[in-house]
Amino acid sequence: MLQLEDISVAFGGLAALSNVNLRVDNGEFVGLVGPNGAGKTTVFNVISGLVKPTAGNARFIAMDLLKQPIHARARAGIARTFQIPQPLHELTVRQNLIVAQKFGTGHSDPKRIDEILDFLGLTERAERNAANDLALTEHKALEVGKALATDPKLLLLDEALAGLETTGKRQFTQMIKQLHEETGLAIVIIEHDIETISELCQRAVVLDFGKVIADETPERIFRDPEVMRSYTGERSA
Amino acid sequence: MFELTLQALYSGLLTGTYYALVALGLALVFGTMKIINLAHGELVLLAAYVAYTAESQWSLNPLAAIPFAMVVVSVVAIAVYLLIDRIKKDRELNSLILTFGIGIILTNFVLLVWSADIRSTTTPWFQQAVVFGDLLFSSRSEILFFLISVALVGATWWWLSQTWYGRATRAVSSDRKAAMLMGVNPRQTEILSFVVASILATVAGIAIFTGQVIEPSLGHALTVKAFIITVLAGMGSIPGVLLGAILIGVVEALTVTYFSSSLQELTGMVLFLVVLLLRPQGLFGFGVRRG
Repeated sequence: MLQLEDISVAFGGLAALSNVNLRVDNGEFVGLVGPNGAGKTTVFNVISGLVKPTAGNARFIAMDLLKQPIHARARAGIARTFQIPQPLHELTVRQNLIVAQKFGTGHSDPKRIDEILDFLGLTERAERNAANDLALTEHKALEVGKALATDPKLLLLDEALAGLETTGKRQFTQMIKQLHEETGLAIVIIEHDIETISELCQRAVVLDFGKVIADETPERIFRDPEVMRSYTGERSA
Repeated sequence: MFELTLQALYSGLLTGTYYALVALGLALVFGTMKIINLAHGELVLLAAYVAYTAESQWSLNPLAAIPFAMVVVSVVAIAVYLLIDRIKKDRELNSLILTFGIGIILTNFVLLVWSADIRSTTTPWFQQAVVFGDLLFSSRSEILFFLISVALVGATWWWLSQTWYGRATRAVSSDRKAAMLMGVNPRQTEILSFVVASILATVAGIAIFTGQVIEPSLGHALTVKAFIITVLAGMGSIPGVLLGAILIGVVEALTVTYFSSSLQELTGMVLFLVVLLLRPQGLFGFGVRRG
């Protein structure tokens, strides 16, 4: 479904990504892990169009991804969330979803909006202002809701669980798991928590200093002492 | 004294509503593109001169010239947009220089075509007095365009809150990046905001032509006034723009009544500075937001 080939990104003289290869198949759940500054969010930015790579190719289904503007990628089925939720401030929770659905899919389906609100536990908050009247978990849920409203084929979750307390994290993990099981949606998640990655993902890709250093099942990844040293930020001299 | 104050408040209210049309257009474009179109007042001016030509050359009623003026102003506005769209670096700053230059070109174009003479409508109907209770004096034009302006501000609010493209415009204003990731094509909403701004500017231009006098330097003054109103109102507040515009209209009218007409423009500036110092988010704004 998604294929990144030798993607490199440089900010000024600094290499943020170097020859990154990433494949995501239909219905797959992939974890993107690595220490802070490894380039995980940059990978998402390249896929969604916020960052233009300096080299490499990217394909999504039959599309040459890098030639497409951001909104065309969203319409083609790539949806993403941000670590810091970015609701549309002037709109209510429901209107946020309505805009995403209308412009992401080209049609409006109020029933589907109700289903998404219900699935995310946001029905009672539907008419609230998206910027001011939501708790953090609800903001996170709305972030996922906006992505789902575009009827995506590939969902990119950027630290969707960050900042949540233990119960909230547990509930959110279950919700994402259920979403994947019920829809068969391909999902890539950036997450630091090893347990969460192990529970959710079929495969984990480890980035370090902008390079892919491992691409394996989570069990193998987290048993590899070399990977774990890099993952926890301990580096050998 | 009481009668004078009441008349000043009344005149300020009538003037303020068409100021609101000008300011709303500027605010819409600022919302979607984060640029200040310094040629916006010249678009209002252009509409007024198109109505003047329609009336003087083709004997058309200025109201009948509105659709024609809308087309002319929209075409010019889209051309301005396409020029701004070509700026690839530091668009916010470079567009200021570009639109300022376009404003000067448009003013000189008006000078070249219509000369520096002061013009006004020759249709007497617009200038006839409407008197309420022997106390409040206005012209038919002022009453007519007060009603049209209030309706248009309401229609703009309805468009922004109830229609797909209005919501998309608000989405781009709120967070351009997030809106694009939801599939919104920002160029469509930007062009649309320019067209809506042109429609509002056209009506304001005809209001000025039929209610007051027009001259080529008016465009620049209108841009400054619209900018002041937008800052007074606070970004992103349509009722705020209406109230801010009426406030400016009233303050100007009171200044003319009790001090001097030469101080009229100055009071708006003073009000602007006071608000910037004491309430930088505007009188009706919600403060600075970050994505």
